[in-house]
Amino acid sequence: MRYALPLLLSSLALPATAAEGTRIQVTGEIIDTWCYYSGVMGGPDAVVGSAHHTCALWCSAGGIPVGLLAEDGTVYMVLKIAQDATSASGDTQLSLAAHTVTADGMFYERDGLNYIVVSEVISDMDIVNPTHEDYGTVPPFSFPEPE
Amino acid sequence: MLRRALAVSLLAASSAAAEPPLPFDLGGAYALTNQFGETRTEADPEGHAQLLFFGYANCLNICSAALPLMADVVDALAEDGIAVTPVMITVAPDQDTVETMGAPLAEIHPDFIGLTGDRATLQTAYDAFAIEVEPLFQDPEYGWVYAHGSFVHLLDGAGDMLTLLPPILDAERSADIVRGYLAPRG
Repeated sequence: MRYALPLLLSSLALPATAAEGTRIQVTGEIIDTWCYYSGVMGGPDAVVGSAHHTCALWCSAGGIPVGLLAEDGTVYMVLKIAQDATSASGDTQLSLAAHTVTADGMFYERDGLNYIVVSEVISDMDIVNPTHEDYGTVPPFSFPEPE
Repeated sequence: MLRRALAVSLLAASSAAAEPPLPFDLGGAYALTNQFGETRTEADPEGHAQLLFFGYANCLNICSAALPLMADVVDALAEDGIAVTPVMITVAPDQDTVETMGAPLAEIHPDFIGLTGDRATLQTAYDAFAIEVEPLFQDPEYGWVYAHGSFVHLLDGAGDMLTLLPPILDAERSADIVRGYLAPRG
């Protein structure tokens, strides 16, 4: 993990867009979409926030696309976070795991799914959802026991 | 139940029959080598639609979700008489060779096509689909672990890009999206 975490998986390094989307600003949490939708690690309240931060890092580094869970419950699949001008955008995704942010970007609706290409993270409020108080670490094995 | 309920928040309106062109300039020509030593381009030889993923055959991370999902979608669509070929372009050509990549892919689905090549020809494909490949660390048992693209691409028989599939959808929902593009019309 200590090797993988500083690096990041860029979920999709998009070239210049070929069609117009809708510019939006969304406030919400950068989530691990696999655990959120699969339910394999627990209910939706347990796989967000501080309880799931470590697992979210693992999943992101392993290739799971991150999502943006808006305050109204809408989930946007994040195609790119363009805060970094280079391909280091992956580092941005890792550093924002489980953080609540306000993102400015282009929204696309396709196949009944919501996508966002984040052009700028306007504010990063850090991890503000203290779910570890109720759930501990989710899943417990995401935080390796020291040898 | 949980997954169904959650899906409501992700899914916006209805599905995809007449989607506008992709807002992303993805897709393009490539010519690589499959596990049988044959050259294969972006076009399917039999004109079938294709599910394309960039990964590697022994990947334990996102590929372990995406490749079985692709297999399940292919099988679900086959029941409807819709032929779709699952294709993986390797991001680890040192590990995925003509000789080695066929067996693990066949375990996932017998129709899986693995594609490899030299660095230059693979880079052409990566560039076409905006795939960034980054070595993360070396696993002593499985070799290099790579960061790479996360989405499954739906291509038509000619190799033109139709849409993206997030690998976190279940097979049923993914197959529904594909049907929106491939179901016989008339």
